[in-house]
Amino acid sequence: MPTYRIASIAALAMALLAGPAAAEDAIKIGVNQPLTGAFAASGSYVVNGAKIAADEINAKGGVLGKKIQLVVEDNKSNPTEAAAVAEKLITSDKTPVMMGAWGSSLTLAVLPKLEEYEIPMLVETSSSGKITTSGNPFVFRISPPSALEAEAFAPMVEKLGVKKVDFLVINNDWGRGAAVDFGKMLKGKGVQVGLTETMDAGAQDMSAQLAKIKGTDSDTLMITAAVDQLTLVFKQMAAMGVKKRVVTTGGSQNPDQILAQAGSAADKTMHLTTFLPWSPEKTPDPKATAYFLGEWKNRGYPFAGSTESFRGYDGIRTIAAAIEKAGSTDPKAIQKAFWDVSFIGLNGPIAFVKAGPEGKESGQSKPGVYLIEIADGAIGEVKL
Amino acid sequence: MDQFLQHLVNAMVLGGAYALLGIGLTLIFGIMNVVNFTHGALYTFGAYAMFIASTALGLNFFVALPFSIVAGLALGAAIELTLLRPLRGADIDTTMLVMIGAGIILQSGTLWIFGGVAKAIPSPFPDAPLTLGSVSISWLRLFVLVAAAALIALAYAMINGTRLGRAMRATFQDSDAAALMGVNVRFIYTATFALGSSLAAAAGALLGPVYVVFPQMGDLAAVKAFAIVILGGLGSITGAALGGFILALAEEFGAGYVSSGYRDAMGFLIIIAVLLAKPTGLFARAERVG
Amino acid sequence: MTRYLPPAILVVLALLPLVLKDPYLLNALITGGIFTIGAISLNLLLGYTGQLSLGHIAFFGIGAYASALTTLGFDIGIFGDFRIVHEGWHPFAGFIVAILLSGACGYVVGRLSFRVRGAYFVIVTICFAEVVRLVALNWVELTQGPLALTAIPQMKIGFPGLGEITLRTKAQNYYLMLAVAALAYVVVARLVSSRFGRAMRGLKENEQLAISVGVNATRTLTVAAAISAAIAGAAGSIYAHYFRIIDPDVFLFTYTVTMVIMVVSGGKGALAGPVIGGLIFGTLPVALRPYMAPEAQWIVYGAVLIAILFLMPRGIAPYLDDWFASRRRAPARAPVAQPQLEGQP
Repeated sequence: MPTYRIASIAALAMALLAGPAAAEDAIKIGVNQPLTGAFAASGSYVVNGAKIAADEINAKGGVLGKKIQLVVEDNKSNPTEAAAVAEKLITSDKTPVMMGAWGSSLTLAVLPKLEEYEIPMLVETSSSGKITTSGNPFVFRISPPSALEAEAFAPMVEKLGVKKVDFLVINNDWGRGAAVDFGKMLKGKGVQVGLTETMDAGAQDMSAQLAKIKGTDSDTLMITAAVDQLTLVFKQMAAMGVKKRVVTTGGSQNPDQILAQAGSAADKTMHLTTFLPWSPEKTPDPKATAYFLGEWKNRGYPFAGSTESFRGYDGIRTIAAAIEKAGSTDPKAIQKAFWDVSFIGLNGPIAFVKAGPEGKESGQSKPGVYLIEIADGAIGEVKL
Repeated sequence: MDQFLQHLVNAMVLGGAYALLGIGLTLIFGIMNVVNFTHGALYTFGAYAMFIASTALGLNFFVALPFSIVAGLALGAAIELTLLRPLRGADIDTTMLVMIGAGIILQSGTLWIFGGVAKAIPSPFPDAPLTLGSVSISWLRLFVLVAAAALIALAYAMINGTRLGRAMRATFQDSDAAALMGVNVRFIYTATFALGSSLAAAAGALLGPVYVVFPQMGDLAAVKAFAIVILGGLGSITGAALGGFILALAEEFGAGYVSSGYRDAMGFLIIIAVLLAKPTGLFARAERVG
Repeated sequence: MTRYLPPAILVVLALLPLVLKDPYLLNALITGGIFTIGAISLNLLLGYTGQLSLGHIAFFGIGAYASALTTLGFDIGIFGDFRIVHEGWHPFAGFIVAILLSGACGYVVGRLSFRVRGAYFVIVTICFAEVVRLVALNWVELTQGPLALTAIPQMKIGFPGLGEITLRTKAQNYYLMLAVAALAYVVVARLVSSRFGRAMRGLKENEQLAISVGVNATRTLTVAAAISAAIAGAAGSIYAHYFRIIDPDVFLFTYTVTMVIMVVSGGKGALAGPVIGGLIFGTLPVALRPYMAPEAQWIVYGAVLIAILFLMPRGIAPYLDDWFASRRRAPARAPVAQPQLEGQP
């Protein structure tokens, strides 16, 4: 119990220190994340990851000879607030570049502000296709939209022997988008697609949907939801005796948390994920992963959070790389420099390719996607 | 048919918890005329109390449960004494808004202390479900159903069989007359709020182990509780109990046979329909409208 | 006395963009103002008829979606091959459609739900708002569901002889918000001082008595609900064209709570109430932001709300009225308390 309080007080102290303690000429980076409301847990993780990156960069002398300073603001898991926060970061804090805003509805609400003020933003988590396809040239995304994830999963479908798939997805852009994109890919592979069931973002009881799924002849259930709901789904599947191959998508699963909270109910479940913290030696940049995980542990954060927070870490590193390439803190120059960023992130190479309508393309990086399995209380990569 | 039975079993378990939530709220609503917007926060509080008791304090599951219920009772009494007693006689909107403020404080405080990451409460029951033919139910859920039924029976007995219960019913019917007859109305209000709160905390403590525990878990629960109370009729304990099961059945079968996207809409549509057909709710005495 | 406050506030607010150049603060004022319009409309129901709608955000959201879809156009299937195809119209047409459609919805909902009163009415309105939200979430073909309606055009307003202006800047949107807020205020003010307003207040004070002297209760309440919903729809339309993106999150229960807080803390049944409440609770989050952790901001927000209601259970505006009145009377040594109808400004 006391550890939570200490952690939250430490976080508060850090948040307070991060503000006024910064030097006059530090380079400001706006961070727009949900710290209260429905997505508070995830947003806080991303911010904590971002702080590790900022401290690491500053310890090495900063960017362009200056320290970087994160200006962290809470968007309250509310789109109206997300837009207001962007407005504040851009106009009051004069941040030349931002990172945000976790959920797709939050990020989408910020997009018009980017065009209005011509400030680039790095999108670290949101998966909605619309973010990079609506012709906003100020958006650069390092998280994979579900179409990219489906593409990466395509070669595994046959090897797993998938014949017919049901979907159980969270009823938002993320879940619905995943069902559409994976469904399209599966049909292209000759796999049948059965039910598509949805669950509300706050729903805790999915037994009705599962009872329906239990009665179908599909062999695989693909689930898209955040970790808490996944835990509940696995527990309820076990309680109802639903026995199908399970593959989750979205890369927000925290398999460790699932393992800890769902126990044996999570056994034999498979997860498409973008980061492999439980085997750092297999990640694209083992040294960086080890450093990040070590620092994450030193700061007293739970290991399970690392699958969420690494995106904040990579996001800030990407932004720093862009500022370095730009050679200035001019938003226009940073926007241009994003296209030249190329380094190995914790989950694969980060480099932006063009997406969306010609002339106003957004940037999309293609991270690695891995299939892992929880078996007998351990997490391992699936060998196919 | 198999699927039908599974839906039915699911609905029964869910209904038990809903009924518990609804009874707590209907008492407060009916007797005190307070729209209790801390009900969801008290539900969350019960779940966190259970979490602390069974992890940090290391209590046995069956000891932690009554501990959480008593903690809910104490918090409820504290809220009544500090926030509601000074506002006796104020508008229903004013007390409702004070309750909204208190709910915001409780929820944000929980977030501040525990963080937003969901917690799991360990369960003493085996993971393998009880399977009867094609229908499965986990032992934990079965326990929740039994415990909820026991608590409902206890609350019912208390209200119908004890002196305190009689005084509460008298206050519900006419608080002025009750006061004239020597009922200590101030005490009855505190007792009512504390009792209602403890039932909300009990629902949270029971469902916490079934689901996971996080600061916003009470939001949806509160809306459902309101719906149940109205469905059953204000101040009617029987109504709230049955309302809980009706709502659970509507949701379960709505999601199973119509569309899971409209799962929660089913319940709300039924409530609208019931109110339009029988505005006082299914089981209330007609004279108490508003 | 507080009846002179809103015109004074209006003048100050109208001059504000001349000195206040910070776009972030202007944005906060626009957002707060949009919800204050919602609060003004809610006050008509809550303050003058005594009926608390906790589903008011439904009309706001319907207005936002109606305005956005009228402007963007849509193509939906109804039965088999029968489709409704709508090409995008002018944004101002969207604004009008929003008002009409929200008003119509308010009429229908009022018609159905005014069979019940008090707590029952509260719950019916919550249920209605939830159902509308779920429809917006699940009718993907029309609303794009959670995928959101994006690229909503900015509002355009035509002035005779001046041509057409597209509202691009903060200041322009600010004045649009202010104009609609002032209009909403005047509509409500005229309405409550009319015969119709007396009928509403009569129903609030004593429904049986009002009916016995010939007030048609259901009709009066329904018309009030329709007008209230129409104003909320106008606010929703401004919201849609200002933020330029909407998704089912516009139906968040928090927004309704915000409006209720504005009305009750400011003083329900007082014309100035929602304006005062809107100013306080529209700017409070902005004021708190730099000083404390996000969770603490919410705790202070809740504590301020409780404190206001403890000190002034009827809200700020009636309290200010009493205060002005007592100051005026004091020099004349006339301690006779004037009988004051509760809820009158």
